[in-house]
Amino acid sequence: MTGLFPGFLILSAGLFSVGAVGVLVRRNPLVVFMSIELMLNAANLALITFARYTQTMAGQVFALFVIAVAASEVVVGLALITGVYRSGRRLDLDELSEMSE
Amino acid sequence: MAEFSAFLSSAPPWFPLRFVPARDLLGVLPILIVGAGVVLVLLADLAVPRRGNRVLPALTGIVLLGALGTAVGQWVVNAAHPIVFNGAYANDRFALFADFVVLLTTLAVVVLSPGYLRRRGMEEGEYYMLLLASVAGMLVLDGALNLIVVFLGIELLSIPLYVLAGFARDDPLPQEAAMKYLLLGGFASGFLVYGMALIYGETGHTGLVAIHNVLTQTALRQQFDPLLLAGIALLAVGLAFKVSAAPFHWWTPDVYQGSPAVVTTFMSVATKVAAFAVFLRLFSATLAPYRSEWQVPIAVVAIISMVFGNVVAVAQTSVKRLLAYSGIAQAGYIMIGVAVGRPDGTQAALYYLAAYAFMNTGAFAVITILSRRGEDCDRFSQLSGLARRQPLLAGLMSVFMLSLAGFPLTVGFFGKFFLFSAAIHDGQLPLAIWGILTSAVSLIYYLRVILIMFSGVPEVEHEEDETLHLAGVTMDGSAVAARAPAATGGMPATAVILLAGVGTLVLGIFPALIYTLLQGISVVHG
Repeated sequence: MTGLFPGFLILSAGLFSVGAVGVLVRRNPLVVFMSIELMLNAANLALITFARYTQTMAGQVFALFVIAVAASEVVVGLALITGVYRSGRRLDLDELSEMSE
Repeated sequence: MAEFSAFLSSAPPWFPLRFVPARDLLGVLPILIVGAGVVLVLLADLAVPRRGNRVLPALTGIVLLGALGTAVGQWVVNAAHPIVFNGAYANDRFALFADFVVLLTTLAVVVLSPGYLRRRGMEEGEYYMLLLASVAGMLVLDGALNLIVVFLGIELLSIPLYVLAGFARDDPLPQEAAMKYLLLGGFASGFLVYGMALIYGETGHTGLVAIHNVLTQTALRQQFDPLLLAGIALLAVGLAFKVSAAPFHWWTPDVYQGSPAVVTTFMSVATKVAAFAVFLRLFSATLAPYRSEWQVPIAVVAIISMVFGNVVAVAQTSVKRLLAYSGIAQAGYIMIGVAVGRPDGTQAALYYLAAYAFMNTGAFAVITILSRRGEDCDRFSQLSGLARRQPLLAGLMSVFMLSLAGFPLTVGFFGKFFLFSAAIHDGQLPLAIWGILTSAVSLIYYLRVILIMFSGVPEVEHEEDETLHLAGVTMDGSAVAARAPAATGGMPATAVILLAGVGTLVLGIFPALIYTLLQGISVVHG
């Protein structure tokens, strides 16, 4: 079992990188939002792996909290995205830039 | 306290707080009060009519005053063992000082809010509830002594703020601001959690004290684990986002400009105080054994923020945006306190945060008062000739601008003085030199605002009439009411600005008033 730990950590680091790159390159707010979720869940995987590795419970508790917080962030996020969509604007982050000078 | 314990042990078995020791509950009493206030305000919103009532702001103010009172009580008692909830939270004087600044700023915001919300046509009761929820997050953050609590505090602070940023739902700018804040805030949270996961994995603990002990051991053996260093770096990136330090500041200008002015006031001051409180606690206490590893990167971030914020601010033509860039620069200055780390660095940073609360709340409050129906009045052209129309406001705004620039006889001067001298005592001369150089640059744009207010003719009056006329057609009878407060912003709002102005000047002449409070404050740890 111990031999699998580096594998889980590499997977988690990979997921995190995919998420981070997704946030930086994608322009659709929904996809950006999904990328953020990917980053948070990569962190969850790392937390669970470390919890097993260090034989402590804190990591699992932390992961539960991260899941709960991510869910509430989704609620706010989707509401905002719906609001922008309702106002008749295209869901594109490049077009949502009326303020930059 | 004895009665409280007796009450709890005699409570029926279903009473949820029965098994929590009274000491723990008393330790987090300000948070409990604000948390109860959230529920109370939400329920009261159902009972009272929506428009034009003062019940909700009054209720919010009472809740904040209650929390402030208990925090003052905790300060006076000065508990010998301030760590509660099994090492998860500390109500030490460091946390309490940050609590004071957060609660006082929020009180000012609550006083400014009713008039502003009425003028901008967004009187919704949820506003106050969201404000209180965010304050609860800040109070949690001030004393957090566990990585999980830090994360929860940051999210409890941020999620209501995302909603508040987009509170003017029908306006395109706030929508854009809220969307950017949410996406970049979520991005930062990702870094933060991953950094925390790595630190937890390498030390086996989430409690800050336990982490500190493990790090002390490994630092003695000169074993600097690369994964742990990566964790610290990710944590620093996530926190730098929240305090809007360059180069992690992208969201700041757009969010500050697009959010309603009262929300920007709250966001720029209270959020920065809470985020810096946890930044200071983590870096100057928990991660102190690894100082040789993180000190230089933090100092570099401080210098980049000071240079970038001050240089870009020169080119701005909107006061809100100018204050956003100035906020980035101020984050750089406070970062000096983090980089110095020792108790005097922490005290200087806390002093600067208190000073920042006075001058920045004041400056944004002026913008709040000037706002008209449908828009915030913050373009330079709209400020021109303000001194002739409203000499008091223009004079106070000048005081805030001079204080932000660090002019002598204002509180901002001593804020910078303590930070720079802490840096010099620590042998970090470059930080102090960059700080002084960029302060000189900042004079350009702060003085420009003053120049514009005192020279130039007032904006053409008929434009204002037209706005009101249009509003009168589209809105209901409240448009008539909007005409009167547009001139002065009403008594309470003027009082807030006056208080901020007096505080800025008095503390600039007698800095000891706050500095003596800070003597001996250091982060309680273990």
